[in-house]
Amino acid sequence: MSDTIHIQIDRADGSLQRLIGLVERRGFHIDGMSMADEGATRRIQLQVRGRDSGRCTEILSRQIDRMIGATRVSCPVSQFQAEAAA
Amino acid sequence: MSAVAPALKTAAATAPRSGAQLLISTLEKLGVEVVFGYPGGAIMPVYDALAGSSLKHILVRHEQGAAFAADAYARSTGKVGVCMATSGPGATNLVTGIANAMMDSVPMVCITGNVATNLMGTDAFQEIDILGVTLPIVKHSWVVRDPAEVPAIVEEAFHIARSGRPGPVLIDLPKDVQFGLTAEDIGFHIPNETPGIDHTAIAEVEAMIRAARRPLIYVGGGAKIAGAVDAVRDFAARTGIPAVATLNGLGTLRTDAPGMLGMLGMHGTRAANDAVQSTDLLIVFGARFDDRATGKLAEFAPHAKVAHFDVDPAEIGKLRAAHVQVTGDMKADIETLAAKFSPGDLDIGDWAEDRATAARTHAFRYDAPGEGVYAPALLNELSRVAGDSFVAACDVGQHQMWVAQHCQFSEPRNHLTSGGLGAMGYGLPAGLGAKMARPDAHVVTVSGDGSFMMNIQELATLRRYGVALKIVLLDNASLGMVRQWQELFFDKNYSEIDLSDNPDFALVARAFGIEAFRVETRDEVSAGVARLLAAEGPCLMHVLIDPAENVWPLVPPGKNNAEMMHDTRFEGDM
Repeated sequence: MSDTIHIQIDRADGSLQRLIGLVERRGFHIDGMSMADEGATRRIQLQVRGRDSGRCTEILSRQIDRMIGATRVSCPVSQFQAEAAA
Repeated sequence: MSAVAPALKTAAATAPRSGAQLLISTLEKLGVEVVFGYPGGAIMPVYDALAGSSLKHILVRHEQGAAFAADAYARSTGKVGVCMATSGPGATNLVTGIANAMMDSVPMVCITGNVATNLMGTDAFQEIDILGVTLPIVKHSWVVRDPAEVPAIVEEAFHIARSGRPGPVLIDLPKDVQFGLTAEDIGFHIPNETPGIDHTAIAEVEAMIRAARRPLIYVGGGAKIAGAVDAVRDFAARTGIPAVATLNGLGTLRTDAPGMLGMLGMHGTRAANDAVQSTDLLIVFGARFDDRATGKLAEFAPHAKVAHFDVDPAEIGKLRAAHVQVTGDMKADIETLAAKFSPGDLDIGDWAEDRATAARTHAFRYDAPGEGVYAPALLNELSRVAGDSFVAACDVGQHQMWVAQHCQFSEPRNHLTSGGLGAMGYGLPAGLGAKMARPDAHVVTVSGDGSFMMNIQELATLRRYGVALKIVLLDNASLGMVRQWQELFFDKNYSEIDLSDNPDFALVARAFGIEAFRVETRDEVSAGVARLLAAEGPCLMHVLIDPAENVWPLVPPGKNNAEMMHDTRFEGDM
């Protein structure tokens, strides 16, 4: 099952490549993607799916969040964190 | 995190200057003193502007040496390291050094020349998409398209490299941008990003500590990066909670501090690993649960709740779920936590005493049988004789683990080691960078015969600049760590680890104009250490050791940290 992450990112050199590389390198398939430019930024919607059960979308979202020039807009609450809190 | 917001840039008119001149003047303005680099065709305007500047440029003999030296300059001081190279092969030669800085969160600014923008994408001579090549291993990167942007991008690069969780950044400067003249100067104003203290989370951690019977501090490299060394020491002293450290966390608590149990993990101490397996509360300061530290992750600290302090929220829960997370300014957070405790507050005397007893019972021994040089004993003696100003710049392999196990460290910035990447060849250029940054310290590169050959050309750089780096070269005529694994885990099928045709390293060093001598037996060690440390200039001590010597103890791959293999010569004590 895919999770959807909404991202806002600067339209700088390599920014799209940086984002997609990060997602795939951290162990996720990209099942779908849409993109719309708005001035100096672009809005991206990614459908992602972990390659194995150890991949956590919440952690991926934080990794996107720390990219310079990228701001996560929203992501789902993760099962992993819910289990940790229990 | 957002990049520079447009509002943070302000333009002012000045006399026309080139992009290259703006680069150099901005580096000067930022207080940069030393740049490690190597010129070439696509960065010639920058080298033209460099002449007459206040920057001290260190001409290395290979760009990888420049990156490693800049990395160690940064690690040993907390300042930002700077390296530069030309396009194509110059840029790609930086790559291992950039990856090394990324894995260990080292602030570094890498500047590369590139072909002119109209040639980019045409397979021009020495053209490489270095921005693309390095995307996975930089914190951020830029291709500068307009000379007027150079000052703002350089200032932003320094800010990003050292703020939050530090890391390497790359600025790619096409040649026409270096040549291009501009009268504009776009300034960059550092945004105020001081995070607040999460008092609620810290109160939760305090309650967990007061309820715990067997609490344990697990400190990584993040504490020193956050400037939280004194805070961690104060917390440990007030609470009496024992501590273990990762490879990059060593020295945060002094090696000889009460309650310091040593390094945990694959080559950790028995006392440290047993404490981790028994603890009911792990208090994590800037560590990331690396597999070399945790062993089999599912069985790591099986009884423990976790309170995780880290500046990087993406590290929380990445490999081990945290019951409480504290992100932000780690120094302020730990100071706030420490202030809640006074000595004697916690009823953990039996636990702490049992750990101290275990540390004494399983202390490393240096009375190995035989007459040959016992490397652990040599390294222990070296660090004790050098004292608190001892700085080790390690290469990678068995000797790296022996340094971590057997040397005494008074500060975490005195232990420079390629922890995350494990890059052979780091030691010699790292020693160069550290000694340039801290000329009054006893900086010693500890290398092996495999690693040393990977950047041996930097001996020429030591000689050129008269850098009084000391080198201990532990020579077992093989790739020792690989040999050890082949012995233990591959049925003694020794494959491609023999280096018995090594050159005479002392002779090689002398050919570079560097003092060198050889130590072959145990009774020569003390005099050798004394001679090495007393030498006025660079000096190499070539030490012959037993090729069959292994690093003990050892947690086999895939096992938990309680399942340690020991040196049978010492009847299992180690």
